[in-house]
Amino acid sequence: MIDLQGYGPRLIEGAGVTVQLAVLSLILAIILGLLTASAKMSRNWFLRRTATVYTTLIRGVPDLVLMMLLFFGGQIGVNAISDMLYYNYDVDIYINFNAFAAGVLTIGFIFGAYMGETFRGAFMAVDNGQIEAGKAYGMSSGLVFRRIRFPQMMRHALPGLSNNWMVLLKTTALVSVIGLTDMVRVAAEASRATHEPFTFLLPVAVAYLLIASVSEWIFARLQKHYDIGFGGH
Amino acid sequence: MAATPTPLEVRNIKKRFGDTEVLKGLSLQAQKGDVITLIGASGSGKSTFLRCMNLLEQPDDGDLIVHGEPIRFKTTKHGREPEDWKQVVQMRAKLSMVFQSFNLWAHMTLLENIIEAPIHVLKKPKKEALEHAHALLDRVGLTARANAYPAQMSGGQQQRGAIARALAMDPEVMLFDEPTSALDPELVGDVLKVMHGLAEEGRTMVVVTHEMGFARDVSSQVIYLHQGLVEEAGPPDQVLGNPQSPRLQQFLAPKY
Repeated sequence: MIDLQGYGPRLIEGAGVTVQLAVLSLILAIILGLLTASAKMSRNWFLRRTATVYTTLIRGVPDLVLMMLLFFGGQIGVNAISDMLYYNYDVDIYINFNAFAAGVLTIGFIFGAYMGETFRGAFMAVDNGQIEAGKAYGMSSGLVFRRIRFPQMMRHALPGLSNNWMVLLKTTALVSVIGLTDMVRVAAEASRATHEPFTFLLPVAVAYLLIASVSEWIFARLQKHYDIGFGGH
Repeated sequence: MAATPTPLEVRNIKKRFGDTEVLKGLSLQAQKGDVITLIGASGSGKSTFLRCMNLLEQPDDGDLIVHGEPIRFKTTKHGREPEDWKQVVQMRAKLSMVFQSFNLWAHMTLLENIIEAPIHVLKKPKKEALEHAHALLDRVGLTARANAYPAQMSGGQQQRGAIARALAMDPEVMLFDEPTSALDPELVGDVLKVMHGLAEEGRTMVVVTHEMGFARDVSSQVIYLHQGLVEEAGPPDQVLGNPQSPRLQQFLAPKY
């Protein structure tokens, strides 16, 4: 057994941070992705334009740069607002821009753009006759989305979605630069202190692999669920 | 207003796709129990006309009155549109449509397809919807296929299933868009038999079809369309038995 020299509990805590960060970012990314896909398929010129600017911007700027921009820029913005409140309205509040929230927001924001493309392709792959049947039977557009468009779109979206998730999971390692103590940061600290990098980095690598394997299994189950009625791939 | 409002009335429907005017002012009135068949060559506008009746296509002009209630329209920069989509959704729940390519929802079993709209649109209790669905499956001869997915069924079975789905809505009017055109010849008979039964029990139906035998046997009115206009209309023995226009005569003549 490897001797973690007392860093075990902190590594596990760090792994918890990694998983929470990844899952919350994924949820945000899916919501943003669905909105982006809808905006891109909308007939409203402004919505289409905004969505295109968003995806182009995100895909053109490195994740690390975006993360630091949002974190430091976010803190400056929050400070400016609290200063304004203090001087103009005599309200004294200090908000510390939370590193965890910044991490979730940034990663969710980045991957929302990729999800948007995944969902757009998946929505377009749904046979229009299926949608028309929903409309013809008196379904509102919300009901058509929930009962037909979404469940039929998912089988096309899942391969891309699972791919995005794997990349997102590994991107969470970047949050250590904005001061979040995920498992990579704990491992790096421990390696420096003990001069035994492999003792700490190998378990971290194994932990990522473990999370990845579990999610692959979940995605395979989901794919099976959404393939029902379509006779497999 | 009469004691029972006319189930479906359309007046002067016009529709263009780009530079082509496909419907040049078409009207139709379906009284309770009427079976109106729309016939005509492909491109005559009969399917587009039918799709304007439940607003799957937006007509550029004309009135649509369902069960005595006129649909309100407004003009936007995208063209003419319904003023209130809620009204359209309610209207559509009264007219069920049977499609050429069936369009049963692929991710649901046949039984789930049939109870879907009654439960989520009409807000029927599930137990009641299921009872009705089983009775309808029995009627179209598909009791054994209740738990099959559409992809596991033949075209004829899918279309009979789609008719059961339409009936589950207790519709005012049933719209049929070439219901047998996508079927293998040997499967057409079963679907026509079901439709025959519906006509006999007094269902109000508007049917776009190429089946002249069906049109002759069950229609109360046959409308022959040519290039977006009514060329001839009337009872089947008149329109099909004694066509006046040379075009209709040619359309009805044996092709070989």
